[in-house]
Amino acid sequence: MITTTRTNTPYRSAQQAGRDGFGQLLWAEWTKFRTVRGWVIGMLAVVLLTALAIVALAGTAKAGTNSLPTTAIGPGGQAVTDTFYFVHQPLDGNGSITVRVTSLTGIEQPPPTGPQGSPGSSRGLLHVVQPWAKAGIIIKASTRAGSAYAAMLVTGGHGVRMQYDFTHDTAGLPGAVSAASPRWLRLTRSGDIITGYDSADGTHWTQVGTASLAGLPSTVQVGLFVTSPPDQKASPQRGGDSSIVSPTQATAVFNQVGLQGGRPGTSWAGDQVQPVLGPSPAGPSPRCKSSCISPGLRESAGTFTVTGSGDIAPYVPIVDPIGVTFKGSLIGLLAVIALGAIFITAEYRRSMIRTTLAASPRRSRVLVAKAIVIGAVAFIAGLVGAAIAYPIAEDKLRSQGWLTSLYPVRSLFSGPGLQIVVGTGALFAVAAILALAVGTMVRRSAGAIAAVIGVLIVPLILATLLPLGIGQWLQRLTPAAAFALQQGNQRYAQVSNVCTPYHGCYPLSPWTGFAVLCAWAVVALGLAAYLLRRRDA
Amino acid sequence: MRQALPAESTGIRPTSHREQTRTSESPHLAWTGISDALHAEWTKLSTVSSTGWLLLACIALTVGGSATAADVVKCPASCGADVVRVSLTGIELGQAIVAVLAVLMISSEYSTGMIRITLAAVPRRSTMLAAKAVVVTGVVLVTGIIAVLGSLLAAWFILPGNGFTFPAGHGLAWWLGLHGGSPLRAGAGSVLYLVLIALFSLGVATAVRDSAVAITVVLGMLYVVPIIGNLILDPHWERRIQRYAPANAGLAIQFTKDLAKLPIGPWAGLGVLAAWAAAALLAGGLLLRLRDA
Repeated sequence: MITTTRTNTPYRSAQQAGRDGFGQLLWAEWTKFRTVRGWVIGMLAVVLLTALAIVALAGTAKAGTNSLPTTAIGPGGQAVTDTFYFVHQPLDGNGSITVRVTSLTGIEQPPPTGPQGSPGSSRGLLHVVQPWAKAGIIIKASTRAGSAYAAMLVTGGHGVRMQYDFTHDTAGLPGAVSAASPRWLRLTRSGDIITGYDSADGTHWTQVGTASLAGLPSTVQVGLFVTSPPDQKASPQRGGDSSIVSPTQATAVFNQVGLQGGRPGTSWAGDQVQPVLGPSPAGPSPRCKSSCISPGLRESAGTFTVTGSGDIAPYVPIVDPIGVTFKGSLIGLLAVIALGAIFITAEYRRSMIRTTLAASPRRSRVLVAKAIVIGAVAFIAGLVGAAIAYPIAEDKLRSQGWLTSLYPVRSLFSGPGLQIVVGTGALFAVAAILALAVGTMVRRSAGAIAAVIGVLIVPLILATLLPLGIGQWLQRLTPAAAFALQQGNQRYAQVSNVCTPYHGCYPLSPWTGFAVLCAWAVVALGLAAYLLRRRDA
Repeated sequence: MRQALPAESTGIRPTSHREQTRTSESPHLAWTGISDALHAEWTKLSTVSSTGWLLLACIALTVGGSATAADVVKCPASCGADVVRVSLTGIELGQAIVAVLAVLMISSEYSTGMIRITLAAVPRRSTMLAAKAVVVTGVVLVTGIIAVLGSLLAAWFILPGNGFTFPAGHGLAWWLGLHGGSPLRAGAGSVLYLVLIALFSLGVATAVRDSAVAITVVLGMLYVVPIIGNLILDPHWERRIQRYAPANAGLAIQFTKDLAKLPIGPWAGLGVLAAWAAAALLAGGLLLRLRDA
């Protein structure tokens, strides 16, 4: 075959192509940045300020002298709460347990000094079931708190769930349990594999999930359990700086209990696994004498009525020492905001913008090139500052007595460590781009910097001044949502913990919060590009 | 872009007939006394269109923020709230605008080179700074009074609808501070707070000259330091920040309940802020004398 070569390619100047390229534009913007000594020094200051402030904050973080909560160590080595009433018997080898739950009720003891005149906290007990009150069947390695387990359970407000080893949670049938709509639950063990099923009628079964519990002993404890976590609310007072913990108790009715593979002739034994922490509604409270039932089991004609308090869940501490310490990065962030705004306002001040736009008449491309350059520089500054500070801060926190089981060691390269460090860089990058966009709109540095601080940082302080609900909405809707990236404590959907701005807790998940900031930056950049094209420079 | 940009950005207005007349009346006194310096500063400030917008924004943000805070505080949940303090929450927002105004008063002169003309006209630099301080005090005083009265008026209007009940005598006159007592102290104190923030900002801006650096430093002191103070895990440092940081100490003037629990008393707190403002002005004034413009 003969290949013909085209020789008459149309002439195109290489230089022209080069000048027109976006790469050249990026290079021009990078040259502008790196040749202004104040800006380079400013970015180096961002790195230093971020690292120094974080380390300094870690240095002041003495562990509190508060009494430590009763916790156990779970199979993954993390701190867990494992407190419940357990009606159990041994199970050798494989087998299964099936049960029908016909009722789950609860009581809550309102805080002793509720706000006066508040109808919700009238004297006496509230007959409400905590949304995460749990009742169901469980296969557990032993009665020791913190041992491996798998459970099928009904909850007060989250339907049927299958949970195992504290951190895993799968939803089953929705809806509350009652005598009119009972729930059937089943767990089968086959080796290390435990499978959970649920059913609304006892004949049609659905598999909810399977749990692989490595190293499960051949003889395990199987049975019924009930538990109900304390209800935690942030104080409704302005500030919300203290939380109100109301003890709760749940009672569930089980019948048609079927156990396959059990030892013949063994009866059910009732035990409290780990004492209930804090005041219990069944405790020596004067209000509770007549209406409270002590935790335990009442059995009559195959119907088991079990009452319990506590929780089977990972322990999520309220205080977040790493997250609080990383608030030191706000000082570096201030400088990043200033640099992001100046990157364009300085061009307006010196009329350099006319030269820039004469050289590159397509204005949106100029803005995008600037955004990429300032974003990349800010990302690296934040990343390096945070990466220097993280190991030192962790070390300081540890040496000052922050418990390892509650706050496990997380290296810089673990998931949570990377989230905080890379998250700080990402936060800095998008904050710089937001400042650049606002600077393009406002053209004056003071106004632009104040506006960005106003939407990004001021919500953090307003959230602590306004009532909790409004404060949390501020933390969802404003760019401040992105600070969720710096949270150190892992959060779980199945643990309802008090989450207040005062404790540095954010309602959105880390990357969702970051997406809120990105959305603001994109909208601002779009508006800036529009104005840049519309207006004379 | 309008043709007026250079005039706006430099703060110079084409000389009006009134000014020409005035100068010809007293030529030997021109630009020497503090009253002429005051007049010059007032002219520069009042003829820049951004001043009016900033003052309007300050009033709108303060009253709007206060009204929102009053609107979201409901009685069954937060009956024990310090209502006077809630109704002045907007100061948290308004102070940023006051800071911008005060910073721009001097740093915009540096960015445009106008400062050389100003100092040629008023060679005694402390006189120039004092004139700026007096003018910004007057402007912020008037703006602050309007903003605070608006905030208290909004609270008087909104709070009863949220389930708050007030004893007889806590009518409009009480809210506006006419009966003295806590609304007067918190309200007048909030106005003074804004004035002191303006003076502090002016001092910082005189010292650092660059508007971006000045506004970043001032807003860092006003917002970032209190956030860190809220979150810091060491109670001693928390107390130190609450007692000695300008915004934390100064805003103690707004508390009207549980005064014994405050880390610093209302007037003592405002005094701490005054000390910050004085120190910033002193540092700014010294640097102004020592450096070339």
